[in-house]
Amino acid sequence: MPIPQQLGRGDKMGRGPYEKSGLIRETSLHPNKTKVEKFEIPLYIEEKKDGKLVRAPIAHDFTIDVQLWYLPYGKKDDPENSVMWKSYTKQISLEKGGK
Amino acid sequence: MKVLKILLVLLFIIIPLTLFAKSQEKPKKAKTIAELVKMYDVSSCKECHADVYDEWQKSLHARSIFGPEHVGRTAATFRTTVEIGLKEMAESGVKKVEDVKIKHLAICTKCHLPQLEDAEESVAQEILKNIYNFAEKGDEKAAETLQQLNINCLVCHNRNAIVHKWVDGYPKKGVIYGSKDGEHADAVFKNTKKNPIMKESILCGQCHGLGPTFGTDNPSQCATLYGSYLWYYVAEGGTKTCQQCHIKDSKLGHNMQSYRSPELANMAVDMKVDAYAYLWRDVVTPTPAASVKVELTNKAGHVIPDG
Repeated sequence: MPIPQQLGRGDKMGRGPYEKSGLIRETSLHPNKTKVEKFEIPLYIEEKKDGKLVRAPIAHDFTIDVQLWYLPYGKKDDPENSVMWKSYTKQISLEKGGK
Repeated sequence: MKVLKILLVLLFIIIPLTLFAKSQEKPKKAKTIAELVKMYDVSSCKECHADVYDEWQKSLHARSIFGPEHVGRTAATFRTTVEIGLKEMAESGVKKVEDVKIKHLAICTKCHLPQLEDAEESVAQEILKNIYNFAEKGDEKAAETLQQLNINCLVCHNRNAIVHKWVDGYPKKGVIYGSKDGEHADAVFKNTKKNPIMKESILCGQCHGLGPTFGTDNPSQCATLYGSYLWYYVAEGGTKTCQQCHIKDSKLGHNMQSYRSPELANMAVDMKVDAYAYLWRDVVTPTPAASVKVELTNKAGHVIPDG
């Protein structure tokens, strides 16, 4: 989200509208633009087997949930203000066998 | 006879002076919240425009200094503005709540209640009393009182209807500014006048603004939407207006909504996700992983969220 600048000076974020007068950092979504983010998620537990490093899958089937939230006050547990805009679910699998 | 002549002369002087004084009278200001509410009473609008009125009542415009129903987030922010803002500003002149004047509240009321300029200082204090009673004691009666103060038909269609007053004239008493010139079946607002900016974004931009409110003694920044509309949306070739999306395309009419509305949320952003699992070799170690790609496209006419 955009980080408003306190009184248009320095490196501190303003708290309320009465002291916001600039932007320190702008991370909002801009009109007619697409933002892409990639997430690489490890699916293993690490252990040593016969002195060798092994990364064994924690499972073979997974559910991926992606949710887009609007959090005007920064918290999800704020039911009167926080709103979930979009959600996505997909089942993914690691093939069994092979080497 | 001489006395009669003197009387006649006096009469000729007194009558024009009285008429002149009357024409110079300043509009009467509201002394209480009740008087201000009456001054901006829109109950008669409902008689002919029931659908529009019902739509408006569901919007945040209808509780612009209280905020979302039951939550009162805006009222709470008014209190914070006094406690954390004004009281801590060395030169604001505010050491205690009783010191707060209309000019101080204008940080918020410039947009949340512009008609406060048509009231006396006593109304500012009465508003604060209700805000503190609601915010600190949960006083429901105070909440009800605060919800009578709002951005209503008369704010957008009269008081704030005209931006360029040297070109289009100052808003006139008894006139509703809308889409056409004509007569208006109302006892007080007897005429309508075509407002050249009624369907233009600049009308909304007066409050959903450009950023810091330069030109005031202590600029604040609540809304930046009109700025991002101009410099990101229009600059990228966008042609829709605020009214097109928030009134027409949403099909919500005067129930102008933003992030809390499923309709607007759906219109605002497209989300595409792709996900899959795979096994890669970290040098020689087989490593199970998942890749998730999320694409967000902002289809609104402004940045999301607002800053």
